Amino acid sequence: MASYQVPRKFPTTVVGSYPKLGPAEEAIRRRKKGEISEEEFHRIARDAIKMVVEDYLWAGVDIISDGEQTREDMVVYFAERLEGYSPGDWVRVFDNVYFRKPVVTGRISWRQPMIIDDWEYARSISGGRPVKVILTGPYTMLEWSFDLHYGDRREMIFDLAKAIRREIEEAVARGAEYVQVDEPALSTRPFREEAELLKEALEIVFNGIPAKRIVHICFGRLERILPYILDYPVDQFDLEMKNSNFRLLPYLKEYGFDKELGFGVVDVHSFQVESVEEIKAAIDMLMKADIIGPEKVYIDPDCGLKRLPREIARQKLRNMVEAARLAREEW
Amino acid sequence: MRVRAQVLGGYPRPRHVRRALRAAERGEADWTSVSRALEAASAAVIGVQVASGLDVVVDGLLDWHDIFRPFASMWRNVTPTALLRYFDNNFFYRIPLFTAEPEPTEPVLAPRARTYAPLAEPARLKAIVPGPVTFALMSEVRGGLKREELAEAIARLLAEEARLAVEAGAGFLQIDEPILGDPEVGEDEARLAADLASEIASKSGAPESMVAVYFYPPDRRVYEALASARVDYVMVDMVDASGRGLDVVAEAGPARRGVAAGLIDARSIYRDRYERVRDAAARLAKALSDGMDLILTTSTWLDLIPYSYSVKKTRLLGLYAERIAEDLGVEFTGGWGVG
Ligand SMILES: [Zn+2]
Repeated sequence: MASYQVPRKFPTTVVGSYPKLGPAEEAIRRRKKGEISEEEFHRIARDAIKMVVEDYLWAGVDIISDGEQTREDMVVYFAERLEGYSPGDWVRVFDNVYFRKPVVTGRISWRQPMIIDDWEYARSISGGRPVKVILTGPYTMLEWSFDLHYGDRREMIFDLAKAIRREIEEAVARGAEYVQVDEPALSTRPFREEAELLKEALEIVFNGIPAKRIVHICFGRLERILPYILDYPVDQFDLEMKNSNFRLLPYLKEYGFDKELGFGVVDVHSFQVESVEEIKAAIDMLMKADIIGPEKVYIDPDCGLKRLPREIARQKLRNMVEAARLAREEW
Repeated sequence: MRVRAQVLGGYPRPRHVRRALRAAERGEADWTSVSRALEAASAAVIGVQVASGLDVVVDGLLDWHDIFRPFASMWRNVTPTALLRYFDNNFFYRIPLFTAEPEPTEPVLAPRARTYAPLAEPARLKAIVPGPVTFALMSEVRGGLKREELAEAIARLLAEEARLAVEAGAGFLQIDEPILGDPEVGEDEARLAADLASEIASKSGAPESMVAVYFYPPDRRVYEALASARVDYVMVDMVDASGRGLDVVAEAGPARRGVAAGLIDARSIYRDRYERVRDAAARLAKALSDGMDLILTTSTWLDLIPYSYSVKKTRLLGLYAERIAEDLGVEFTGGWGVG
């Protein structure tokens, strides 16, 4: 594998998901119909992962992902592959769009590798760039599943955490350097007791894991719980910032934030491509706020790019990379 | 004191309704087949509620994509736009965009009251409106309109909506103000919500009215502001936040005609433990005087769980209400005079 030097300052990265490309959609559809095995499913999706990686390389992103091409839904994907889950019944997401909200009907445990195949494939074609291992976090799995087995949130989240850790260990044993868990559900319930529950779970997930440990949290009113999350056992907080107009920055300053920051500078809800100047200005603003040094700042989009058209996602990333390059010259 | 039971709001769509809607959206079927499916499904959920002993029932609101949508689609100067997460749910509503003060066109609620009130016999049909403060705060506003003015304008339209619905046969009015459970909502918003709810309830002429706060319990001052409004009941979510809503209501006391307790968990599919529900009801009963009602209800709408579970939860609600009445030695209104 070719070696790749990640920039010391302002490395660029992605949160994880990318628009679903043709072969992935096809693979998901055929798997649902029961036409293909799990192995074939991942093999067909490789064509999509390859296109995603090509887009990342074209844009110049330093630390990439597999684009989560095989994950139709961030909770369902894992629920289908963990012990203890059943498919569940239809629940509305919006309008007349429904998904099968998974149900926990037995004790949750790890069964076999879930995301390793896609991740390893992405690594094999990344030209040496690190590929993040990305998993849905225990709190989000807890909140976005129904429970018929535990009747106790603590017990359930700790079993989820153990299962997720097992997958991480699998990845680290194969050389994973960056491990991220996604917790979008946390900011929907910005309460101290919830933040503390996740902290306990993350200790199970991450303690002693020899890799860069990242938690991604997005949207909602994170400032309410910031004091209770800052001592999470992670190296990096990856946060949505652009969409909320960088509202969190003064709070980070106030609470003496000194971990690494995944700094969201691209709005994933807007089809408007941010200009290089606009993104550079956001980085400048962070630097002027004097919270952390440039070697602790990772530049990335607010969240996954899956809801954007591919062309817009590509262009947003390219401008982001260029802005980071300019920032490196200045800071 | 009497014990009553009612579901808070909408039901999930059964499969045949989802399919009919999807077919019509794709142009593969016409909209009359959707109407037929909706009417049949509404009749079914009304039947489930009446048979479960609920004396006030909902038609299921099965055609509503979210609580604001029918109004945001029907009124002038407002349109549904981008999706946004609806409170802490994995469900998204479309943000209403107001470009000026809204103006009414055709009524939203009256036609459904005319269709479904007769099907509810011997129960009464409930009309549900989004609270004007929640509506205004969860919308996007352009054109210099202030939030408070917008809330007032929305309240005027909803009052007329409610009046027409009551005229068409609705026997109970519910005004949903979930945003008042937000810990950052202050007394000003609570007082505004109370004033506007009073206005809607009194102009509507509804025999009974209720304001509902769910997804998180209101703090005590917010609850007290609402309980002093000219509405009969204030419904409080007593499931979320470890049931803190129960303390708030037990300590602050009932609204004019009693308490509406959201004790059946509408967001889980777990079978609620009877003892928890009964103990809470018994505690609330101590705060009620003789002529008052204890309304047992769901912690929020039932539309966030699968259809089959919404039916199970409805049955559980009626069953528990009847058992609680028995345990407390008081009347249960949903017995329909049968054995
Ligand atoms: Zn995110």
